[in-house]
Amino acid sequence: MLYNGHVFYPAEEKMISIKNLTKDYGKVRALDSLSLEIRREEIFGLLGPNGAGKSTTIKILNTLVKPSSGRAWLDGFDVVQSPLQIKERIGVVPQENNLDRDLTAFENLKIYGLLHHIQDLGKKIEEHLRSVDLWERRNDPVQTFSGGMQRRLLIARALLGRPQILFLDEPTIGLDPQVRREIWNTIRRIRTQGGTVLLTTHYIEEAEALSDRVGILSRGKLIALDTPENLKKMVGEYVVEYVDQDGSKVYQICRTREDAQCHLLQTESEMTFRKANLEDVFVKLTGARIET
Amino acid sequence: MNWYPIFLREMLQFKKKLFRLGYIFTSMMVPLLYLIAFGLGLGRSVQVAGGSYFNYLLPGLVAMSSMNNSYNWIASGLNLSRLYFKTFQVLVQAPIAPTSIIAGYVVSGMVRGLFASVMIILVGLLAGSGFHLSLIFILTLFLNCFLFSNLGVIVGMITKSHEDTSTYANFFILPMVFFSGTFFPIERMPALIKGIILCLPLTHTNILIRKTIWDDQAWLALLIMIAYAALFFIIGSRMIKNYSE
Repeated sequence: MLYNGHVFYPAEEKMISIKNLTKDYGKVRALDSLSLEIRREEIFGLLGPNGAGKSTTIKILNTLVKPSSGRAWLDGFDVVQSPLQIKERIGVVPQENNLDRDLTAFENLKIYGLLHHIQDLGKKIEEHLRSVDLWERRNDPVQTFSGGMQRRLLIARALLGRPQILFLDEPTIGLDPQVRREIWNTIRRIRTQGGTVLLTTHYIEEAEALSDRVGILSRGKLIALDTPENLKKMVGEYVVEYVDQDGSKVYQICRTREDAQCHLLQTESEMTFRKANLEDVFVKLTGARIET
Repeated sequence: MNWYPIFLREMLQFKKKLFRLGYIFTSMMVPLLYLIAFGLGLGRSVQVAGGSYFNYLLPGLVAMSSMNNSYNWIASGLNLSRLYFKTFQVLVQAPIAPTSIIAGYVVSGMVRGLFASVMIILVGLLAGSGFHLSLIFILTLFLNCFLFSNLGVIVGMITKSHEDTSTYANFFILPMVFFSGTFFPIERMPALIKGIILCLPLTHTNILIRKTIWDDQAWLALLIMIAYAALFFIIGSRMIKNYSE
């Protein structure tokens, strides 16, 4: 277990605190005693395969799911005891598209803005629709939008009330690389504007590109927590993959370049030599892969 | 006014459906069939409570239609919103009270129920009914829409699949339509069955909606309707408050 990054922040720096959070669905334990702290203006990535407990964590924090045990606080407010205060502080981009498909982009944002008591709403809707390049399509029903456009609209909606904490559950799932990078830029911009971001992803590249720190979940448990660079350093920075003389695949994580070169000398077949990534950290810790 | 965004959302969807061809006819089809078959067909040769059957049937059909439209719109819409489209998440994640959410849904269900009722009344008047709008009638109609919209919230929240909403409609709503005095006076039913019928909320709607004066039976029916409505509102609010996926 890699917990080197599990530091405890002073109260004024903490935006999210989670202590022994557990969620059971019948006999299935979706989340198992999760504890971590996320500081203000941090982009924190929860990485793990499907079913690891990432979405359950986000849903508990944004009040959609009640925990079986344990507690969590956002900006000092308990998520179970003070749901209204939590809801005033958060914006959520869910994994599923929960836009009203029959309604237009403008209508979707208007209803969200009224629900969140946002002042000067018309101006803010225009500003946010322009920021995701959807202003020209504001009067079109959402069901006529492409997947990428709907995703951008979800982000614009979540940002409409300038939330202190933004939850993004698999924000770029199913999107092409160009749209994915546009969304990454939007997420980075949120942090520069003073927001805190908690995102879940099973894309390794996404977690590495965006996160200040990463928590790796497996079967409901937090198995690693630190910056992407530190996590990689802890398991080894280089990876060698090749097929040996017996025909079996060799996959080796090496601490140094020299270690890796020793392996390279053992074979004449085609090989891969690369820098380690968070997928390798996950493989090292669990023996399984994240991305499928 | 925290309920207004939910009401607006439902009304925008209602407006879009309203302009789709066939929607009005589809929602009006069942009460119109009853009105034509029982009211204009059978009703010409039948007398009920000293008056024409057509005049007896029309308020019952208004009660039925307002119930069906209020209930179905909310139960079905909320169920789909919660389980399939996930749009209910947006409402429960907003910083508003659960009572505001239920109020928004209920007022929209009432609009839908009242809309259907107006259509039935217009058809009845065109068909030559001697129907008169009274204060009791209007009050009953509003209360009936309120009551069954709240029941719709409960069913929409409780059902675990969209098919379940049909099960509730078939085993609770449909029998209520036939046995609660919509088509014939409940006095003609056997005592045991009559006791069960008197527990059904629509029975009291049908009693009150046909009253022309505030007698003891009218006041009792009104109190029972208010009690049901309040109970359903409280249960629905608690279900929204305790919502967890």
